[in-house]
Amino acid sequence: MEQLIIFAVLLSLGYFFGRRAEKKHYQSIIEREKHLISFPTTSNKTVEHDNREIDHCQLVNGNMVVSVDYFKRILAKLRNFFGGNIQSYETLIDRARREAVLRMKESCPEADMVINLRLDTSSITKGKKNQVGSVEVLAYGTAVYFCK
Amino acid sequence: MKSWPTARQSIFVNNIMEYKPSLPDHNDNVSHDQPVREFVTLFLGITVFLLIAFWTTGLFVDYAVDYISPEMEAKIFSSFNRSKAGVVSAKDPKQAELQRMVDQLRQCIHLSYPLTVHLIDTEQANAMAFPGGRIIVLNGLLNKVTSENGLSFVLAHELAHFIHRDHLRGMGRGIVIAAMAAFVTGPGSDFTQLFAPAVNFNMAQYSQTRESMADKKALEILACFYGHVGGATEFFKAMTPNDKGGKNFLGHYFNSHPEALERIDDLYRLAKEMNFDVKTVNPLNDVLIKN
Repeated sequence: MEQLIIFAVLLSLGYFFGRRAEKKHYQSIIEREKHLISFPTTSNKTVEHDNREIDHCQLVNGNMVVSVDYFKRILAKLRNFFGGNIQSYETLIDRARREAVLRMKESCPEADMVINLRLDTSSITKGKKNQVGSVEVLAYGTAVYFCK
Repeated sequence: MKSWPTARQSIFVNNIMEYKPSLPDHNDNVSHDQPVREFVTLFLGITVFLLIAFWTTGLFVDYAVDYISPEMEAKIFSSFNRSKAGVVSAKDPKQAELQRMVDQLRQCIHLSYPLTVHLIDTEQANAMAFPGGRIIVLNGLLNKVTSENGLSFVLAHELAHFIHRDHLRGMGRGIVIAAMAAFVTGPGSDFTQLFAPAVNFNMAQYSQTRESMADKKALEILACFYGHVGGATEFFKAMTPNDKGGKNFLGHYFNSHPEALERIDDLYRLAKEMNFDVKTVNPLNDVLIKN
């Protein structure tokens, strides 16, 4: 019975704190995305249809490591029985992806555009038992600076 | 911070592709369902599945138990090493007396088991039926009962478990459930905790039914041997907690045994139904009283 109570406490802590953190993070993401909205960022490999001369290029990257809360982890495990869309992990990966791109953009405020944007995901605690699973999302691209 | 060209001034504006910065109105990459609702739905789904699975496998266990003869059971479990912790010596007079009582009570039933009584020196008061015809008596029991009839009822209750093969049924279910839990959630997973109530409830409900059946049979054995059922409720009365107000309502459903008070009431009711008399009880043998 005691173990069950501990379990329930962990579950509700995970739920409330995870939810709060997520809400705050999304607010920050949306705000920063609005600010950076006109920063051209594409996955094209080259600067196309632009006559301006390129001054220099630079590799830029941004990454975020995201971890699941207890509630989401248990919910995902429950989902494992029946299969289907693991909804509880969706917001997590979405946040990590957007945050990584934002951090990448913020790392080169003077750049004119970022081309060749790529996203990589890797699991940090893959296959290790009794460890909280966490995922890293790395966004990298080439920042282009045109001549003034 | 530098300002980038807006949509109108975009670098692609004169060409094929135009860069139009905009944020999507709706985030399609995440589901907007209620996670709690999903949790409850999935949890209830699995719980119902497990309850049905346990119930069905329980039936299989019952079916298998009917095929295990007492001789086969004795052979299987005679090779099992048992813990020697607290076991009194084979020549202990108390153990010999208990063995004599069990052998006497056996006259009232048809049981082909070789039954041996093992007395464990501990403060706890209980008796258990184990596979292979072993009755374990915890020494504290001898302090709780005050008459020979009271002790006989407890021993008869364990004999009833052997008649009903409850020790095999309980063990079979335990093995099946442990195997299923390990298979579904992995051994030692904190996740197993989530389904502990379903497992415990299932086991407890089954166990309570078997205990009530054993109580009834024990009453019959007592009536057969002594001609009356005096002293049957002695042990349960001694085990009834004094604070009757503090009854745990929810816990009741998860107990392996019915509550003592309830068992006493049931015994009175059964004795009345079967027209068993209650007469003066015999005193406990001196050997058993000595410490």
